[in-house]
Amino acid sequence: MRPETREQYRIAVFALPATLFMLVMMAIPLGSVVWQSISDDTGLSLAAYAKIVQSNLFIRVTRTTLEIALGATLVAFFLGYPIAYFLAKQSTKRQTIWLIVILIPFWTSSLVKSFAFVVMLGHAGILNTFLGELGLGPYKMLFNRIGVMVGMSHFLVPFMVFPILTNLRSQPPELAKAAAIMGAGKFRIFRTVTFPLSLPGVVSGALLVFILALGFFIVPKLLGGRQDVMLSSLVDFYAREVFDFQMSSAIAVILMATALLAAFLLSKVRGGASILSKESS
Amino acid sequence: MMEGQGSTWRRANAAFAIAAMIFLLLPSLIVIPMSFSDSELIIFPPKGYSFHLYQRYVEEPGWVSASILSLRVAIWTTILSICLGVPAAYALVRGNFPGRRMLAMFLLSPIMLPSVVLALAIYIYFVRISLSHGELRLVLAHCVATLPFVVVTAAAGIQTVDANIERAATIMGASRLYVFRTVTLPLVIPSIVAGALFTFLISFDEIIISIFVAKAGDTTLPIKMFSSLVFEVSPVLAAISTMLTLMSALICILVTFAQKGDAKP
Amino acid sequence: MTDSMGTVQEMVRLDAVTKRYGSFTALHETELSIRAGEFLTLLGPSGSGKTTLLNAVAGMATPTSGRIWIDGRDVTATPPEKRGLGMVFQSYALMPHMTVFDNIAYPLKVRKISKQEIRKRVSDVLELVRLPDLAHRKPKELSGGQQQRVSIARCLVYNPRLVLMDEPLGALDKKLREQMQLEIKRLHNELKITMIYVTHDQEEALNMSDRIMLMNGGKAEQIGSPHDLYFRPVSQFAADFIGQSTMLDAKILEVGDPCIVDLGASGQCKVKVPGANKDQGGKLVLRPETLRLITNDQIADGFNALSVRYKDSLVTGSTIKHIVELENGTELIVQELTTPEETAKRHEGRLLVAWPVEAGIFLDR
Repeated sequence: MRPETREQYRIAVFALPATLFMLVMMAIPLGSVVWQSISDDTGLSLAAYAKIVQSNLFIRVTRTTLEIALGATLVAFFLGYPIAYFLAKQSTKRQTIWLIVILIPFWTSSLVKSFAFVVMLGHAGILNTFLGELGLGPYKMLFNRIGVMVGMSHFLVPFMVFPILTNLRSQPPELAKAAAIMGAGKFRIFRTVTFPLSLPGVVSGALLVFILALGFFIVPKLLGGRQDVMLSSLVDFYAREVFDFQMSSAIAVILMATALLAAFLLSKVRGGASILSKESS
Repeated sequence: MMEGQGSTWRRANAAFAIAAMIFLLLPSLIVIPMSFSDSELIIFPPKGYSFHLYQRYVEEPGWVSASILSLRVAIWTTILSICLGVPAAYALVRGNFPGRRMLAMFLLSPIMLPSVVLALAIYIYFVRISLSHGELRLVLAHCVATLPFVVVTAAAGIQTVDANIERAATIMGASRLYVFRTVTLPLVIPSIVAGALFTFLISFDEIIISIFVAKAGDTTLPIKMFSSLVFEVSPVLAAISTMLTLMSALICILVTFAQKGDAKP
Repeated sequence: MTDSMGTVQEMVRLDAVTKRYGSFTALHETELSIRAGEFLTLLGPSGSGKTTLLNAVAGMATPTSGRIWIDGRDVTATPPEKRGLGMVFQSYALMPHMTVFDNIAYPLKVRKISKQEIRKRVSDVLELVRLPDLAHRKPKELSGGQQQRVSIARCLVYNPRLVLMDEPLGALDKKLREQMQLEIKRLHNELKITMIYVTHDQEEALNMSDRIMLMNGGKAEQIGSPHDLYFRPVSQFAADFIGQSTMLDAKILEVGDPCIVDLGASGQCKVKVPGANKDQGGKLVLRPETLRLITNDQIADGFNALSVRYKDSLVTGSTIKHIVELENGTELIVQELTTPEETAKRHEGRLLVAWPVEAGIFLDR
């Protein structure tokens, strides 16, 4: 064996334990989910998929999932972009401090946040109490679409902020300066220079948020109503309440395929996983 | 005129951004005063203050044991993830072997997969191989979800180490393992610590996979919180939420701090 | 260094070494032999294959074909850590988490040398590179020049037979670079180590080397002493890369010693071209410092002269550069020493550029 090749094998060995672990704990289980979805006692069968396509429940839940995922992506964009834009303008030191403000909720348990929203959005919750004093409400904001959207977009905003912020930071400041010297106002610079250049960041943030939103489970379950069942809940329902593993597997496969497709698009936008970028030497 | 337009735009952006960040921070903050409420009702602001809810957390059956289980699982998950993930990150960053890209995508794929899909797959798998050790089930399953985070953070750390430093060490006669131990590892310790802290947090807070793979008796803290939120919202949750929020905040600050001290050549 | 038989020892030999990455050939078949104690520089633009060649010697790239010998041993399949070489990098490659002392002690620890011996050898080598008081600093507390001295010390401390330097001064500013060139040269002379030095800076190569291997497009363009490369370039590339020069289109009119060469509209001149053929086309290379401006027709024997138009002068310190134009519009640079008197030559009348016949170089490739 050539020494260089031998050297590469020696490096690759470092990845072996993790690879074996993921093969055994992820690839085989996922493979058997796929297998389970296309087989029954008699052999290969697409019965589960046929049943799904004809099921009104599935179609309704799919529509709900897409609606909620798209809605949450939009809300996350409208909240996340201004934050990223604001942060990009701060000095590095201030940016670090502001980032902690975003990271703390980002790393806070979704159960804690759900609990807080239950307290805030409930019928006698903080928000309704406050609105009541202004002579408004009470409004129903919990166990319906509003609750789900608030909870999900809260969770997803940071995922939108990070890629956009990375993009904005990498924009050469000379561009905006050049535009300013040519007489463009701040808003025009934003509209004609900064924003168009940040679109790759926006697209990659939006795809990421959409993928995550598709798989949401806890937030719709705790903050949504009966109308807000998402595909994840359906997987759970078939698996742990009806014990129909074929159906739950089939839905999981559909969910997985959608996520992988979006992930593929994401990798196209980002031009490959960033940890693989190497210096040429 | 131009100046006026510029500063209005900037001020509007700042106002909106800060409002959005307050929205992000609010849920984490609101649980803190509530946890010191002396009332059995969940009201805000509390009428009076006491440590009563913390006392209930300690005394009510189940909460402490659930916390201890979560702690044990999180610690084992962290150890396992670091041991598997750091060497893998090294191979992905420094290696140039065929299939490197594919391998990276494979190891990182759990980030992109909905948790429910992983949860279902591992659940069915455990039933099939009849793995019955409850804690082991949780640790192995959590590890699938946390490993990509360790790989990403460690890889980012390794990338900041000039490859020529390792080459220099190799040429001076050190074996690859010796170089990894004496040069690479000390330099990526801050990244590894960050990865470990986040892994701990992810595992400690993990709910979806836990719901599927945990055995009936094995109630982790998130599982207990989840059922409390589904069935009857207990005010004890405020105390637990405060502790969890403080833990997250502490870890975020520690990580920011650790990466500040990162030796960047 | 000579062995008992009195013959010159060979430290490195490359035997038909090639390196391909896929369909890209980074290094075409190359032969090279380096004497023990020699200072050889690999010079060339980026992408010329010099770093590939260095990496092949270091063991960080295995040749696609051919063999590499170091000190009489075939090391083609030997991994870098077993080749016993020293290497200095442009980025210094000091371990940021270790002190200067620990950095220098690293190769000794790898060799399991006793603590006492390590302490002695580190302090000796710090003395050698003139940094005796910095042992307990961290690399980032040192200046660029100091860091490079540490990295040189680290590479000398275990007495490698062969030291490779990959653009070691590339990150330093001009003054410091010149100072370090002398320093490296001094160490080379004192320690009599064999060195392979990579640079893209022709001046550095000319200053330091015993021999230069000029590389271009993955091939050795010319190997020789700095003097050879400067005064006897074998190709237009070599003439252009090393030193300043003006190239004129030329065609051999009459073979002889010297030959008569036609420079088109600019006129004719005499050039020594061994083995010339009639009607052979090529370039006439003229070095600025061999040219003189004269105002009369009294051309000395053995000189060529062409009439030119004066355009401009640039004073660059010790020298002055006159820019003149030949009849056909080609610009020529004439370099003379600056004198305290008014040096500008704003000649209204006839002006000629002259050079000794043997200073002109005719190159057909």
